[in-house]
Amino acid sequence: MRTGVIGLILPSTFSFLEMMWRICPALAVGCTVVALVPPASPTPLLLAQLAGELGPFPGIINVISGPASLGPVLASQPGVQKVAFCGALEEGRALRRALAGEGAELGLALGAEALLLLSDAADVDSAVEGVVDAAWSDRSPGGLRLLVQESVWEEAMRRLQARMGRLRCGRGLDGAVDMGARGAAARDLAQRYVREAQSQGAQVFQAGDVPLDSPFYPPTLVSDLPPASPCAQAEVPWPVVVASPFRTAKEALALANGTPRGGSASVWSERLGQALELGYGLRVGTVWINSHGLRDPAVPTGGCKESGSSWHGGPDGLYEYLRPSGTPARLSYLSKNLNYDSFGLVVPSALPAGPETGPTPAPPYGLFVGGRFQAPGARSSRPIQDAFGNLHGYVAEGGAKDIRGAVEAAHQAASSWAGQSPGARRALLWALAAALERRESALASRLERQGVELKAAKAEVELSVRRLRAWGAQAQAQGQTLQLGVLAIVCPDEWPLLAFVSLLAPALAHGNTVVMVPSGACPLLALEVCQDMATLFPAGLVNVVTGDRDHLTRCLALHQDIQALWYFGSAQGSQFVEWASAGNLKPVWVSRGLPRAWEQEAEGAGPELGLRAARTKALWLPMGD
Amino acid sequence: MSTHNQGTELDLSWISKIQVNHPAVLRRAEQIQARRPVKKEWQAAWLLKAVTFIDLTTLSGDDTSSNIQRLCYKAKYPIREDLLKALNMHDKGITTAAVCVYPARVCDAVKALKAVGCNIPVASVATGFPAGQTHLKTRLEEIRLAVEDGATEIDVVINRTLVLTGQWEGSDFIKTSTGKETVNATFPVAIVMLRAIRDFFWKTGNKIGFKPAGGIRSAKDSLAWLSLVKEELGDEWLKPELFRIGASTLLSDIERQIYHHVTGRYAAYHDLPMS
Repeated sequence: MRTGVIGLILPSTFSFLEMMWRICPALAVGCTVVALVPPASPTPLLLAQLAGELGPFPGIINVISGPASLGPVLASQPGVQKVAFCGALEEGRALRRALAGEGAELGLALGAEALLLLSDAADVDSAVEGVVDAAWSDRSPGGLRLLVQESVWEEAMRRLQARMGRLRCGRGLDGAVDMGARGAAARDLAQRYVREAQSQGAQVFQAGDVPLDSPFYPPTLVSDLPPASPCAQAEVPWPVVVASPFRTAKEALALANGTPRGGSASVWSERLGQALELGYGLRVGTVWINSHGLRDPAVPTGGCKESGSSWHGGPDGLYEYLRPSGTPARLSYLSKNLNYDSFGLVVPSALPAGPETGPTPAPPYGLFVGGRFQAPGARSSRPIQDAFGNLHGYVAEGGAKDIRGAVEAAHQAASSWAGQSPGARRALLWALAAALERRESALASRLERQGVELKAAKAEVELSVRRLRAWGAQAQAQGQTLQLGVLAIVCPDEWPLLAFVSLLAPALAHGNTVVMVPSGACPLLALEVCQDMATLFPAGLVNVVTGDRDHLTRCLALHQDIQALWYFGSAQGSQFVEWASAGNLKPVWVSRGLPRAWEQEAEGAGPELGLRAARTKALWLPMGD
Repeated sequence: MSTHNQGTELDLSWISKIQVNHPAVLRRAEQIQARRPVKKEWQAAWLLKAVTFIDLTTLSGDDTSSNIQRLCYKAKYPIREDLLKALNMHDKGITTAAVCVYPARVCDAVKALKAVGCNIPVASVATGFPAGQTHLKTRLEEIRLAVEDGATEIDVVINRTLVLTGQWEGSDFIKTSTGKETVNATFPVAIVMLRAIRDFFWKTGNKIGFKPAGGIRSAKDSLAWLSLVKEELGDEWLKPELFRIGASTLLSDIERQIYHHVTGRYAAYHDLPMS
């Protein structure tokens, strides 16, 4: 079902097309839009006026012309269900922090830099035309990083420089010019970048027929920029191209993936195998092979890493403006006195537990990291009480070091798990389901000690087994999906077995490796399942860390190398997670402190889980010989 | 043509290293036509320049001395006198670049040009035009006879059998095709050829000329061809020594465009002298 009121915030250099790509799907699924546009552009106001004349539905498009500082104000209005932000990285980060705890969901599309990878098997002349399209035309969204294979470096530079000489700049509406200007701010940014690059030792080449007055800036080619210099880390502004050489395809991938940005890239090589391999290896949202800048409304366009995770176009673009049927409207749950600096920083010390009762002493569980049980770094445990006040067991007190180790283990297992065939994933999930079935009595008795009636306990175990099987089958039916990477999941306190399994299964089925913090009330059930996973699963595929939930959540939320975080806990925790995700802009899914009906199909095993566990990538390969 | 191509050692690796990205070349071809429109008095100037590149051609089975004479007169006076006067270009000596005829008609062409007082070269197609499937001995004899008769340029049809078996020859100009094929001069093909010319110049310093022929009928097209050569090779190649357009009806269309520019009205074909 449709989400509701969408707030759209556009940067000062937005294009009409970008705006329409967000407004049209929102309207198409039944949402209404409030857009905040910079004061210098009258076109959206005209659009709103035309929309207002449509008769029975005034108010489907509303446009406010105002400064960027109104962005957070718009975003935190009650009733705004989702904010779509398109613009610069730092502003996106600031908005993410400002919106933590507010009702609206945030979709970010940040940065405009693209990448062009020119291998020695490419048609260099056509690749040069690709560079012109990508960086020195009015259609280019931003600057370009150009990676050229060393063996064709001289050739490529020569052709680029000759081509630059033929470019013409002028007023945008003159049909015979290649590129116009984008305002004084863009010009200053480009100039500052080029001056800094020069001071850091780069060679700068500028050419083209350019009017001398502001705000025109000539097409610029920067080369010999040292890779470690600050300019090489910063985003390349329009109309600058920064060129660097590479020796082998492997090095190219390392260089290309070695930035926090993950928007779009093109690969130029007439050897199909090499082109596809590079295309698959690049961590970006869109890859064009032997072409650049192709767009189509039916193909999803978006990014990953710090380019934000919102999409436009294709079915993913529509899902941005939809939410599962039956979910209530999002409300603000802001807690104004939450101290982000101190949340979860210090673990409250626990009083020692009372004397143990029961036939045998309860063995302490370790952390389940890297395929085996390990002692925690802090070398201490915490006691777990059952529903009747007796000691149920001890679990490890995990800390920041353990989270770090778990994430590393998950990364080590990530590439081989992602490469598994769908059939292999199904087989593993079904094996776990079978193992749980065999363990049914032990699991049911633990649940009983937590106060669950025997019948309900058995039903919970059975439902968990069924869900594992269902996700396994879906993994095979769906075929190859693109995984997010390492997924961190903080499970809810209630439904200690069912919620754990319901969250684990879709994450694994879509090719991710996971780091999980189980239910705080009773982590023992999750740890029982780990005993089976120790024998069945590859090491590092699933890692379970117990301990103080707020502290572990803090560590996960601030970790820069986790690709997504699901948090089902308190409202304060949810707010912290949203705030902290601004660090590496990982997509987050929080419960806002509200309970979730895990036993129901819609909330416990619905398509939303699958959608959030995977990401999309578009690969373009034009045909023709 | 001033200097001849001295030629180089045949190095087939130059050819095997070439990669052509067909979809990108098609895109570039579309772009060229859209991105550099020329209007008003600049368009008139470009059209007159285009006239000076034309190899005015007649290659029909029923060519006789009378239509050759008419052709040569048209070559000397391509645009009507009063139109040129209106543009103040009547004394600039605007003629087509050459006249292109069958070998048997070279004599008539030379005579006609002399009668009209024009010193533009006579080009002859030769070597078994258009298929090239005749004996080497007769092909060489054709060239010799045409040159004896007064032709100073020869459009040689290469032996496609040799091409398809990898045996290459050299030349001063490259032409898109004979003009008698089903598909002749198209922009994507031209882009690849022009890039090859530029590469050869960068490697050896020799400038090779380019001649598209066949299917170029409208003035708009001719402007696109000029833009293409200017963009890919530069102004140096926009000279009759390095660039020719093989065309016959193109001249009439250009003349009509000039008529429109000067008078503001659209001419009928009968308003302007036949070629």
